[in-house]
Amino acid sequence: MIRVEHLKKEFVLTRKLQKELATKDKVAKAVNDVSFECQPGRIFSLLGPNGAGKTTTMRMLSTLFIPTGGKIEVAGIDAIAEPEEARKKIGFLTGSTGLYARLTPNELIKYFADLYGVSKQDFEQRKNHLYDLLDMHEFQHKRIGKLSTGMKQKVSICRTMIHDPEVVIFDEPTSGLDVITAENIIQLIRDCKEQQKTVIFSSHIMSEVDLLCDDLAIIDKGNMVYSGTMEDFRSQMQSKNLTSEFIRLINENRAS
Amino acid sequence: MIRTIFKKELLETLRDRRTIITMIVIPTMIFPLIMTVFFKVSDNFTKEASEKTVQIGIVSEEGNSRFIPALQSLPKELGKRAIHVYSDTAQLRNDIGSDSVQIGFFIPSNYAAVFDSSSQVSLRVYYNATKVGMKERAKVLMEAVQTQVKAYRYNKLRIDARQLEPVVAEYENVASVKETVGKLVGGFLPYLFIAFGFMGCMYPAIDLFTGEKERGTLETLLTAPASRWQILIGKMGVVVLSGLIAASFTMLGIFLTIEVFDIIQDPKILDVIHQVLTLKFVLMFYLLLIPLIIFFAGVMIPIAVYAKTFKEAQSIIAPMNAVIVLPAMVGFFPGIELNMTTACIPVVNIVLATKELIAGTLQMPYVLLSFGIMLALASLSIMFSYKRFGKEGNLVT
Repeated sequence: MIRVEHLKKEFVLTRKLQKELATKDKVAKAVNDVSFECQPGRIFSLLGPNGAGKTTTMRMLSTLFIPTGGKIEVAGIDAIAEPEEARKKIGFLTGSTGLYARLTPNELIKYFADLYGVSKQDFEQRKNHLYDLLDMHEFQHKRIGKLSTGMKQKVSICRTMIHDPEVVIFDEPTSGLDVITAENIIQLIRDCKEQQKTVIFSSHIMSEVDLLCDDLAIIDKGNMVYSGTMEDFRSQMQSKNLTSEFIRLINENRAS
Repeated sequence: MIRTIFKKELLETLRDRRTIITMIVIPTMIFPLIMTVFFKVSDNFTKEASEKTVQIGIVSEEGNSRFIPALQSLPKELGKRAIHVYSDTAQLRNDIGSDSVQIGFFIPSNYAAVFDSSSQVSLRVYYNATKVGMKERAKVLMEAVQTQVKAYRYNKLRIDARQLEPVVAEYENVASVKETVGKLVGGFLPYLFIAFGFMGCMYPAIDLFTGEKERGTLETLLTAPASRWQILIGKMGVVVLSGLIAASFTMLGIFLTIEVFDIIQDPKILDVIHQVLTLKFVLMFYLLLIPLIIFFAGVMIPIAVYAKTFKEAQSIIAPMNAVIVLPAMVGFFPGIELNMTTACIPVVNIVLATKELIAGTLQMPYVLLSFGIMLALASLSIMFSYKRFGKEGNLVT
């Protein structure tokens, strides 16, 4: 489970950044008073246009960034007070995730298993299961740099799941991938739901959200615009489709 | 955890061709190459100088009576000579300018008179300063002629030469050959080690910090349950090890030069090198080198953490090479020694301490001070690296 309360993140703007952003403000509010809850066995989607604060929120959830204010609880652990403990429960995957090109999938998976303290027995069991599931046996000894994008994505998935995380965070996981490769991610998200894991994924692709999510939150310019179940969202829609409704809500927020 | 990170980073580093070249290939090859070139050039120069026939032009107003026969009678050991008689100095100067003649003499008409009188005469000697060594050859010839004339006068005046030189100084060098070599040229070795130690750290530092950020792998690593300290120390350990490996391969290069390639054949030099390169030297040297390399890593890492691209990091760190490694050149100057002041100057202290180590004149208090200074700087640089590595803005692109 993930519980987020009044989450805030401000970045100090250097003179260089002030010039780039054409502002005299000394801080930029990336996330402002965002609260939501993600339940195990349900898929939560964080939606928002580019620059809305999705990635910053995901980075705070994954303990990469320390929030300026608010609370984050991951699998019952205070992620701000005990980030290392929280990380043990999290699997984190982004669309821009890079892999160590000079390592083989085997070496990379073992590295992350060791970092997460996975026992030898569990490692072998999970590795074989994931390799079977993702059909990775054939290229397990090849250098990652020589693998195709699809193969690399499979390695990324395996890396994310090797420690059997309770909570899985996907930050725009299909960004830049073709439909065939993206399908691996979609399947992974579904599998996580089936395994009663807590899943949160950020996206700006409405079709993906429509396909997968049970609950959603929409943020824009760091502020919460909508939070509720997908069912409620559909029933309250004032536009003809999800994309139009998403745009309507964003515009309404900006106008107010 | 640190061990896991260290092992993985080392594996990746050792698979990077660019790092292998700067860490292993170049340091191993550089000393044999320098020595081969040095001995080859110096051999050729000596051989050429001894075999080359020096063309000497003479304008003599006294004819062929005294100077020319004297020059011809000088022993062959003073170099091969060919004498050409000129009628005027203008042509002689032209020929020296075009290098068809290397040394010129103008002998005045009263030259012969100095043999039978107590007068003094001036000879003009022409040479071209751009032709290295010719002034020295002319001096040698002039000294030999002077000795001949002196001998003639002493004989004529029935004077024993010893009467005019009542005191003869016998100079004796109390320093051992090892000490002399160590003090005079001992600065060259630490310079090589430091320069390659720096180079050895450079690519791994950029690759493991900026490179990882650029490739998008750092974000994933930071979401693993390893603290920033552990990640920093694991990575820094590999950067430091790479610097030490580069310095060690420089040492291997020296070993190969002496023991395998037989590039140095002078038994005196070989004997000195064998006296210097002992196990004690190697251990002491590493003791001094380790904090220096940690300091290098500590200076490079904050830059590598701050830079957004490999190119940016490289463009900042590469010029730093000059700023940090140039002080190492102080070791080239004879006369600068490790004392209370120089022991407090980073990099310079390590060069001078190594120089003293080679010369066998190491004074422990100064070495400990140098070591302490470098250790303090290394610790500060680690703290600074951690501070930079902890900054959120530096970790993601």
